[in-house]
Amino acid sequence: MVPAAALLAGALALLSLARVATAFERPLAASVAQSSAITHVTDEVGRQVSVPAQVNRVVTLSPDLTETIYALGLEDKLAGDTNYCDTPPAAKLKPHIGTAQNPSLEAIVALRPDLILASTSINRRETVDELARLGLAVYATNPHTVRGVLASIENVATVMGAATQGHGLVVGLRARLEALHMRLNDLPLAHVFFVVWQDPLITIGQNTFIADALKWAGAESVIIADQNWPQISFEEVVRVQPDYIVFTSNHSGDTGKLLSELRSRPDWKGLHAVELGHIVNVSDEIARPSAGLVNAIEELAHDLHPEAFSGPGARYAPGLQKSTPEFAVTAVCGEEHAACAR
Amino acid sequence: MRPLTPRRVLGICLLLLAVLFAAVVLSLRMGAYPMAVRDIVTTLVNGALGRRERIPSEFWLVVFGLRLPRIALGILVGAALSTSGAGFQALLRNPLADPYVLGVSSGAALGAILSLIVAPLAPGLIQVAAFVGAAATITGVYFLGRRGGHLDSGTLLLAGIISASFLSAVIMFLMTTLSGRDLRGMAFWLMGDLSSTPAVDLRWLYLLLLVGAGSIYTTASDLNLILSGEQEARHLGVNVGRVKIVVYVAASLLTGLAVSLSGAIGYVGLLTPHVMRMLFGTDYRLLIPTSAIGGAIIIVLADLLARTVVAPTELPVGAMTAIAGAPVFIYLMRRSMR
Repeated sequence: MVPAAALLAGALALLSLARVATAFERPLAASVAQSSAITHVTDEVGRQVSVPAQVNRVVTLSPDLTETIYALGLEDKLAGDTNYCDTPPAAKLKPHIGTAQNPSLEAIVALRPDLILASTSINRRETVDELARLGLAVYATNPHTVRGVLASIENVATVMGAATQGHGLVVGLRARLEALHMRLNDLPLAHVFFVVWQDPLITIGQNTFIADALKWAGAESVIIADQNWPQISFEEVVRVQPDYIVFTSNHSGDTGKLLSELRSRPDWKGLHAVELGHIVNVSDEIARPSAGLVNAIEELAHDLHPEAFSGPGARYAPGLQKSTPEFAVTAVCGEEHAACAR
Repeated sequence: MRPLTPRRVLGICLLLLAVLFAAVVLSLRMGAYPMAVRDIVTTLVNGALGRRERIPSEFWLVVFGLRLPRIALGILVGAALSTSGAGFQALLRNPLADPYVLGVSSGAALGAILSLIVAPLAPGLIQVAAFVGAAATITGVYFLGRRGGHLDSGTLLLAGIISASFLSAVIMFLMTTLSGRDLRGMAFWLMGDLSSTPAVDLRWLYLLLLVGAGSIYTTASDLNLILSGEQEARHLGVNVGRVKIVVYVAASLLTGLAVSLSGAIGYVGLLTPHVMRMLFGTDYRLLIPTSAIGGAIIIVLADLLARTVVAPTELPVGAMTAIAGAPVFIYLMRRSMR
């Protein structure tokens, strides 16, 4: 009988611990925010979020959001970011909360954020749910197209209380995209194979913002897949024979080295694109849904359609536009001057 | 070997509970958020007295929002896995038997994946689906493992292994149809991890643990006899068929419970009963409670490491148990061969 009693005693001890742990779960949510001014917003995945009208401490859970915060000039409010955040380099010096996929919730709480920014492009839903359970305000972005990326930048700016900066930034980016569209409009799309990973061979699916970015750059992925990061057979690449093969620059060194490496491989060297040297090494900004994506699109467009940017047909001076804000500022000033003249 | 007295069982269990308590204290103390012992004690005392306004809100969040629920979940999962492991090992009279060898975890994972495909946003559905998947697999393996109208250990084990590999293949097939976001969550889930809070109140889950572990415990004396031989046990008046069904159903319930909460955390169900056998002997009346507490200790400590080794990033606890568990397993195997 006594062993049974021992078991019972142990079980009761466990049960009481469970009670302690669960009894406090419900009041947690009620403690959400004590500060006076709260705005209720719906984030991009349809969650209701209560955000303080004045956000002073923000934690970003993905590198693209960190980049957006810097692009908006709000870095003083950035309390922490992930181990991956390296753009701009100053982001590396901020306190880190772990990797984007397995962050430490404790480390996030320790930074006392009044807003947390997450992105469906990299974060896990579980992380967002857990943070919300703790009563923290989490705004999730969900970009699937280039226009979606720009909209996300504006949305983030708005919840951060910086709608004007956000609008200015996005207007400039839109203008650059439109200019690019004008140049590339009449050209046939280049058929490209986008390499996410070489071994095993992984490419992009049609629902990713990268697939959409390719279209803005006057290109089209030769692989049609519903999954976001499909692993595909090399035979399929041989079958479709892409015009160009696009690598990202964090993938390997310079293009020449990459090309000679590919030409030494029995499978890759047989592709027409490799024979012709149609290899493009685009900036890894192409893989981040933030303002830098437009740089990567322009860079890719130059590499794939050089004819559109040179010769007598070119409408204005070719060259990469690396600095976003200047373009935006000129455009705005131009309008003002026009207004003044009138 | 000293005879097993109730006093001895009680003593050993209290000793292990003390170790568990120490592990819980250590686990409460350590983490990415630095907190002094004094602050933790103040938070706990004020929390227990309901005086929440006296504690800084971050202390409250860290202790009551993060660490305690996670420890409570770890204890539940560890106890459930180890008890079911001990049950399966007796039932199959095979030291390699463990909840996962029987395909249960693959079944649970398949259930979870199907729920992600059908209704990716329904809250709590993934746990229910995982539990249903585990239960369905166990039922299937049970019928595959019957030979001549009764459960045959060898056939059952084979049926489990075949089902596990078949279900894993189906999972691989389905995963290629899921989008990237779901895949990430899934891979993490298959490794086993305690970072998600269950949608169901933990008290109900602890009640299920008690029912499952208690049912196995009622068969402890019979299991002792069955281990020395089924024929002998029958001659001594043990209803072997009934005992097997009770243990099978209860151990499956516990496995389904654990997998649906934390994913597939390996090695705990396999190793804890072995370690407890080495320390305290093979008597199931002692082995079942010690395995339950021992499994809880191991998971709490493993999760403590998972949270702190590469902080602020977190490892899945299943990676921790596998890293520590595989060498221990090899040690035990070589030791028993001598």
